[in-house]
Amino acid sequence: MTEFVAVAGVDELEAGEMRAFDVRGVKIAVANVGGAFHAFDDTCTHAGCSLAGGDLEETTVICPCHGSEFDVRSGEVLQGPAREPVETYETRVEDGSLKIEG
Amino acid sequence: MSETFVIVGAGLAGGTAASTLRQDGFDGRVVLIGAEKHPPYERPPLSKEYLRDESSFEQALLQPLDFYGENGIELKCDVRATRIDDREKTVELDSGEQVAYDKLLFAAGVKNRQVPTPGSGLDGIYDLRTVADSDLIRREISPGRKAVVVGMGFIGSEVAASLRQSGVEVTVVDRNKVPLRRVLGEEVGRVIEVIHRDHGTELIFEDTVAAFEGTGRVESVVTSAGHSLGCDFVVVALGVEPVVEPLVGTGVEIDNGVVVDEYFRTGVEGIYAAGDVANHYHPVFERHIRVEHWQNALKQGQAAARSMLGGGEPYQEIPWFWSDQYEHNLQYSGFHREWDELVVRGSLQERSFVAFYRKDERILAAVAIDRGRDLRRSVPLIKSRQRIEASRLRDPDVDLRKLVTAANTRL
Ligand SMILES: Cc1cc2nc3c(=O)[nH]c(=O)nc-3n(C[C@H](O)[C@H](O)[C@H](O)COP(=O)(O)OP(=O)(O)OC[C@H]3O[C@@H](n4cnc5c(N)ncnc54)[C@H](O)[C@@H]3O)c2cc1C
Ligand code: FES
Repeated sequence: MTEFVAVAGVDELEAGEMRAFDVRGVKIAVANVGGAFHAFDDTCTHAGCSLAGGDLEETTVICPCHGSEFDVRSGEVLQGPAREPVETYETRVEDGSLKIEG
Repeated sequence: MSETFVIVGAGLAGGTAASTLRQDGFDGRVVLIGAEKHPPYERPPLSKEYLRDESSFEQALLQPLDFYGENGIELKCDVRATRIDDREKTVELDSGEQVAYDKLLFAAGVKNRQVPTPGSGLDGIYDLRTVADSDLIRREISPGRKAVVVGMGFIGSEVAASLRQSGVEVTVVDRNKVPLRRVLGEEVGRVIEVIHRDHGTELIFEDTVAAFEGTGRVESVVTSAGHSLGCDFVVVALGVEPVVEPLVGTGVEIDNGVVVDEYFRTGVEGIYAAGDVANHYHPVFERHIRVEHWQNALKQGQAAARSMLGGGEPYQEIPWFWSDQYEHNLQYSGFHREWDELVVRGSLQERSFVAFYRKDERILAAVAIDRGRDLRRSVPLIKSRQRIEASRLRDPDVDLRKLVTAANTRL
């Protein structure tokens, strides 16, 4: 069964913002896209920079180091230099807290 | 009868153009001609991860090996276009073959500048452009060996950093006062200098190489100021020049590369150019510029393909590039040759800043160290060409994204 880990209160992450959380030793970034939370590996598949340190434009996260772009919903690469997608995780909101699959 | 599009140069721009032609539905013949043994690949790792043996060549390939066959792209590797005949519309190859084209994209990139120096024929002296070059340098790397790097532009600086990170003792000789002076200017160049010195890389400025000495193999580098630097190997990185030889004798204008308009068209019907080789008209800077970086080659490869298909829009991407040295990530966006003020947000001393090159209060370009997000947010400021107060650029509490006012946006 998938377990969910509470990482923050829902109101701690505003729309249009991203933050990285440590979920059982894995850095996972969460993006708030107009109230919907999308979780994905924070570590860019190109050279390992933190995606949460980049920019979020609608559903696209842009890596701060070399500009790779990923779709936060699917993890798919939209623009290189990265070639491999990032892993995505399910999120859930329960009792005012944001939970990530982990 | 279906058309034939020939691409000369199977690098980032050429390879990207070939796949874009197919993506956009072109069903004619696509011939991609490359002088190297390999299908198109990316060069940035060659001075960084690949040189340090941290990544594989496969990771650098633009497309998987079977991509070209599957997409009906006739990839000819290890053959060089020697002459283009713009009247007969043919390309002559060094294999003796001739290929007729309806449209031709010239994307042959740049080659390393050769500076005649006594002793330059000795073994153990390298330069870096291709994976083959990087492989040769890799064989020389082991902790405790001594290397001299000649020239401290981006490639020289990155090679110096990677060698140092691999335990090599490195001395760099450069004719300027600071690294990367031509592009970044003295203040920012100084920051790069300190980063290198802090990592134990020896730097000699305002000096040039007078001769390489050794018997059979290089043993020392003698400089004009009289230094004699003992070494096990040398990497020369003295800049590049555009590859234009196959176009000699055609009506295509050559001036600092191949001169093209904002649709990548040369003055000769049916001949286009893109990537490092293209001196293209840029509507934002209102002049021709030639850019030797990754994003430029990628975006121009796409845009030129669309233009060849009869579509496309005037190209107005703001140039952008990165350089990784040691643990630092440098990024630059825009285009500037002269400026009257450098406005810094953050701290040069602490090596965490974005700095704006301004002329007449307009931002021509920005450079950042370890501030990729700020750099990206500066691009619209450059594109808008608005006058923005220095105090607001400096103030870390002012969101860069809010500085462009829609009413003033020209483009
Ligand atoms: C070591 C190194 C590190 C780099 N690091 C960075 C970086 O960190 N960031 C960044 O933004 N940019 C970087 N760059 C720059 C970037 O790689 C180039 O801007 C980009 O490769 C240009 O693409 P291009 O297709 O125009 O040319 P190229 O990729 O150079 O491709 C041109 C191809 O044409 C071939 N060719 C030449 N003449 C002929 C002929 N007559 N017939 C057939 N083929 C021919 C060449 O062999 C070559 O394969 C780096 C470059 C190098 C060399
Ligand atoms: S580390 Fe993310 S693009 Fe390079």
